[in-house]
Amino acid sequence: MTLFIGASLVALAVVLFILQPVVKGLHASLERDEFELTDTEARKRVALLALRDVEYDFLAEKLDEHDYRSLKAELTAEALAALEADERAQHGAGADEDELEAEIAQIRAGLSGAGVCDACGFSNEVGSRFCAACGQAVVAEAAS
Amino acid sequence: MTILGEFALWTALPVAVWGMALGFMGGRTQRGDLVLSAERGIYAVFFLLILASLGVGAAFLGDKFEYWYVYAYSNRELELFYKVTGLWAGQRGSLLFWALILAFFSSICVFQNRDKNREFMPYVAAVLQGVILFFIVVLLFADVNPFERLAFTPANGRGLNPQLQNYWMTIHPPTLYLGFTAFTVPFAFAVAALLNGRLDARWIQLTRRWILTSWLFLSVGIIFGMRWAYEELGWGGYWFWDPVENASLLPWLTATAFLHSIQIQESRGMLRVWNMSLVLMTFLLTIFATFLTRSGLIESVHSFAQELKIAYLFLGFMGSILAGCIVLILYRLPELRSENRIESFLSRESAFLFNNLMLLGFAFAVFWGTIFPLVAEAVTGQKISVGPPFFEKVNFPIGLVLLALAGIGPVIAWRRATKRNLRKNFTIPIGVLLLVAAALWAGGARHPLALVTWSICAFVLTVIGIEFWKGTRARARIEGEGYALALMHLVARNRRRWGGYIVHVAMVMIYFAFAGAAYNVDERFHMLPGDVVEVRSPFGHTYALTYEGLTVSLGKGQRNLLWQAVAAISVQKDGKQKPLMTTEKRMYVTADLPMTEVAIRSTVQEDLYLILSALDDMEAAVNGDSNAQGIDLQVLIKPFVGWIWFGGMMLAMGTIVALWPNVDRRRVALEARSEAAPEPAMAGAAD
Repeated sequence: MTLFIGASLVALAVVLFILQPVVKGLHASLERDEFELTDTEARKRVALLALRDVEYDFLAEKLDEHDYRSLKAELTAEALAALEADERAQHGAGADEDELEAEIAQIRAGLSGAGVCDACGFSNEVGSRFCAACGQAVVAEAAS
Repeated sequence: MTILGEFALWTALPVAVWGMALGFMGGRTQRGDLVLSAERGIYAVFFLLILASLGVGAAFLGDKFEYWYVYAYSNRELELFYKVTGLWAGQRGSLLFWALILAFFSSICVFQNRDKNREFMPYVAAVLQGVILFFIVVLLFADVNPFERLAFTPANGRGLNPQLQNYWMTIHPPTLYLGFTAFTVPFAFAVAALLNGRLDARWIQLTRRWILTSWLFLSVGIIFGMRWAYEELGWGGYWFWDPVENASLLPWLTATAFLHSIQIQESRGMLRVWNMSLVLMTFLLTIFATFLTRSGLIESVHSFAQELKIAYLFLGFMGSILAGCIVLILYRLPELRSENRIESFLSRESAFLFNNLMLLGFAFAVFWGTIFPLVAEAVTGQKISVGPPFFEKVNFPIGLVLLALAGIGPVIAWRRATKRNLRKNFTIPIGVLLLVAAALWAGGARHPLALVTWSICAFVLTVIGIEFWKGTRARARIEGEGYALALMHLVARNRRRWGGYIVHVAMVMIYFAFAGAAYNVDERFHMLPGDVVEVRSPFGHTYALTYEGLTVSLGKGQRNLLWQAVAAISVQKDGKQKPLMTTEKRMYVTADLPMTEVAIRSTVQEDLYLILSALDDMEAAVNGDSNAQGIDLQVLIKPFVGWIWFGGMMLAMGTIVALWPNVDRRRVALEARSEAAPEPAMAGAAD
């Protein structure tokens, strides 16, 4: 008898638990959460991570200066395209345009050669104060 | 409790069908209520499978021998610990245990994603539930129900195979199952991506931790199995290319290939079809491993023929998954085109690709060597065995290439590397390789395979050492940090890269140990009490072993032990006394033949491994005849074997470094901002 009651209770609980959403109309979300990365953001992130890898490979002397520069330019362009796409996607979704503009400007500055060391010609991260290769102070050409 | 467990297992069947169907329907119709119900179905099935497992556990603890499974794997005298682990001691319990772990992981996955990645979740829930459903169907309809009752109640059970009464054996299967089942989650996400058309690297990023978790458990599980074989099987080896071992190695090989190739998809957008195929292959191999080890196929094709139902179910399941996935991949083929192409042969992409081909070649050889005897037996009726020589001939060269790649890959840059860079980066490691080879030669090492392996080990270690050094130095310079702090930050900033390197070091340690086997010493002696034998280690020192005598004790059936014959050997290494070693023969109530317990003395350098191969007159010895003391003793010296276990620990450590969660700074920042301001703003990418 106890067994029968126990089994019935288990079955009843399970059935109620799984049927409740359908009967009561409880809905699980099928939309992307606002905190999640959008596709374009994800692409931007990938481009920025690839940039980081290229920087590292150059520092670790796995890449030649020439290849490093051309790769960096390519990747920066990719990141830029992703950023602009991101901006378009965000438009009207309450995006902070000024901030995005600033970010794009920063990457553009990277393309135009800001952060290049006068002493050794190394391309530093935009906003670097000292050269990563030789340690000389880097003169900021563009406001960042 | 046991009856309630059986009831729960039956109840799980319709719930799983419901959950799977509603998941697919909810995904197609985009109805949130159906999806919520499907997700709750997973929690419900998990709950029901817990009840079922508790039911089996209760039957073991209560010595309920009317259940065939308890009768076959336990008896009254079995230690409590092994009764508890009885759940996974045999085929039927293992299948239930498998379903339970899968339901556990599925519940974690659904809970983790309760308010993110929602566009994937309907299909993820459906696929997970579908796989659980398959195992429930097998349990209920393939004559492997753990709740099956005998027509009568036997007075006692048959007891557990003594070889399984070892702590490694109690943790080895669950660890492997954790690895196998965890891989179902990435598979479910891959199928969901094929169904909902989000074919970028997203599904990979979402499941990276699951992939690593699965890989970690698989690796550790395999190493536990090796340890068990080493300690318990009593012949001094840890790997015999046995079908059961191969079955667990196969998904490990393809999962390793997958772990490498997803990096190319993530950073370069290439190899999408390839990655889909690898995830499918790995998933199928985890099912294949269960099929092979838990369907009776291995013992013999003939005994297997008696279990046709389970075979048909497994083959049908694997076949339909394979067909379904191929159709889906073909359907999405136009969207799976690569964004990029490999730019240069000298690039990390092509090194990764080469690594993948090698791993798959390895896997194919293992697969073929494992199933060929089965196919041949089925066709010709003759039992053929494919022994270690086949596997060694094919896999040693591939293994060495893979080891070398572990050193070459990290030094080659993504996209394009030039010869000049290579020369610059490889000069020192190759110099070290040659130096080590010369030093080993000078030291008297002549075995070609060991010489090559150890030299490549030195090469890989040098490469990784230089990587760590360069990274730390660059960081210390740029950030003005001390070296220790710079190293810590370096690893913390890119855990994947450095965690991966640590795993490569672990693999070097394991290879180093494997190659030590070339210098194994194996000698056999007949000994009487007081006899002294000398065995020379390849390192030059000598062990003097004195046989002190045999002690026989009668176990009177307690813990299933009938008698124990313990041979005591005192050990002197170059004249210095070492602790006494004992090796035994044991006779269990539940076995026909006596089992051997070996004695192992481990050092960093080598293991001294003693096996009591035979007693001169077993019957007389057991009956207390003090003259029956003669024994055959086998003495093995196994250089570097302990490094396998150190390597295993290192591997776990490296994987955990790569797995360690990053704080999602972007999310934290966004949440903080949305709390401060009513309108949430999007911030830039955080790294």
